[in-house]
Amino acid sequence: MNELKKKLLSSFDNVEINIPEDNRMIVITKKESVLSILSYLKKMGYNHFALESCNDWIDDNEFELIYILSAYLEKDEQYQDKGKRNIILKTRISREKAKFITIIDIFENAEPYEREIHEMFGIYFEGHPRLTPLLLERDYDIPPFRKDFDTNKYVENTFGKIPSIKERKKEKNERT
Amino acid sequence: MRELELYFGPQHLGMVGNFSITLKVEGDRIVKADANPGYLHRGFEKLMEQRTWMQNFPLVCRINVVEPDHMELIYSMAVEKLAGIEVPERGKYIRSIFCEMARVASHLFGLWAYANMLGFDTVAHWAMYHRDILLDMFEELTGARVYHIYVRPGGVRRDFPDGFIDRLVKTLHKIGGKVPDYNATFFENRLFQKRAEGIGVVTREEAIRMGAVGHTLKATGMKYDIRKIEPYAAYDQVDFDIPTRTGGDAYSRLLTIRDDMIESVHMIFKLIDKMPNKGEVYTKTPNPFKWKIPAGEAYVRCESSRGELGLYIVSDGGDKPYRAHFNTPSYNHGLTVLEKALEGESISDVGNIMISLYVVPPEIDR
Repeated sequence: MNELKKKLLSSFDNVEINIPEDNRMIVITKKESVLSILSYLKKMGYNHFALESCNDWIDDNEFELIYILSAYLEKDEQYQDKGKRNIILKTRISREKAKFITIIDIFENAEPYEREIHEMFGIYFEGHPRLTPLLLERDYDIPPFRKDFDTNKYVENTFGKIPSIKERKKEKNERT
Repeated sequence: MRELELYFGPQHLGMVGNFSITLKVEGDRIVKADANPGYLHRGFEKLMEQRTWMQNFPLVCRINVVEPDHMELIYSMAVEKLAGIEVPERGKYIRSIFCEMARVASHLFGLWAYANMLGFDTVAHWAMYHRDILLDMFEELTGARVYHIYVRPGGVRRDFPDGFIDRLVKTLHKIGGKVPDYNATFFENRLFQKRAEGIGVVTREEAIRMGAVGHTLKATGMKYDIRKIEPYAAYDQVDFDIPTRTGGDAYSRLLTIRDDMIESVHMIFKLIDKMPNKGEVYTKTPNPFKWKIPAGEAYVRCESSRGELGLYIVSDGGDKPYRAHFNTPSYNHGLTVLEKALEGESISDVGNIMISLYVVPPEIDR
């Protein structure tokens, strides 16, 4: 892990790396160098793309994109290389007109993850072949996984207000 | 020949679960498949942001209907990591035994689905019966049959009741004694072999390229298993093997599933032998209503019966998670691998391939 850290620091500018106790490496970078770092890590043996996620930091007015990589086994049975744990690559993009580049060219299975992020957070991925809806049925004014989307308010507007137990009891008492 | 569009599911005999596939077919050959999930989307990850750390358990276990236990386990592991809680030794062993029981129950359910879909009704009934007597053990241990909510941050909810281990061993022997019959009627049955051999082949290169895990990868010969790579609970205390095949087709995948089930039963016996007789099973955690977890992030993973299961969780120092994202094995298998594996296959094998890839639609939708 420490060797990889040195290599990454020497080949890329503006990366910030810390390794917590559990031996997972967290790499924070600017959005321009995400693609080159991902393809570099893939060449270094981190060939399993585990997860692409997004986080809405509404106070900073930014989205955080998270890429998690790990490594497949080189031989059929080789568990000695315990150092090869997950790498978490993070970058931040602006929340206004959120836009990023797709990474399908590097990791093919990122396709559904990006579709989901597009649907849930409203981030447009340039170069993605099909950004069609994946899970949701309806259209929403605000993409539902953003922090300013209020589920209770949405339910009230769409399906009508559901009275609380206190209100229902009160109503019942008034009737009788 | 003319290309037609065919809707396979959500109402279809060969479809297990709430899922549909749009097929482009030429004759009975599939030209292109388009997976269409979302029939069971409940927005659990969003709802989790509005509930306290302990209130999330009833949501978490419902993500995967077939085996809720690994979902509880991974959520507990994530909370433990964020809050810095240690699990007592006996708690770790009980967790491992519980998860292996869940694995056997899940495989039996999968076997039911596979046999039922292909018309092997006898095998399907056996599998369902054996799952049911295993669920009785779960009921005795936790009070619930399907959604147990047994694993909690810091350990497990309660210790084994008196005489539980004897009854568990007896039940497992009863299931194990039926394996020759399963072999004769299903796994080594010529009718089944003809249906499953050479179908839905995923080679090693394709599996790596498309991010496959679990049995899809094990059927190509790679012993990729999180229990070995990054041991959690008590898996580093016992010696076990990871069954593999080299064919990469539906038949190889099913045989790895069968061997995995047998290996799990053996592992339970080994764990019972090694388990400390006395001791605490959980560490005390703060009052759940006032429990605040320090800010930070964690990515934890475990091996569910379908493959690598991951959870990325972020805390902002409050009493609720700020963001949780489950990386479920069916997500990759159902959306990326399935679409590729179906190309060029026959319409009659769609359900066959889908179940052999071990796709559980609730896991995709979350």
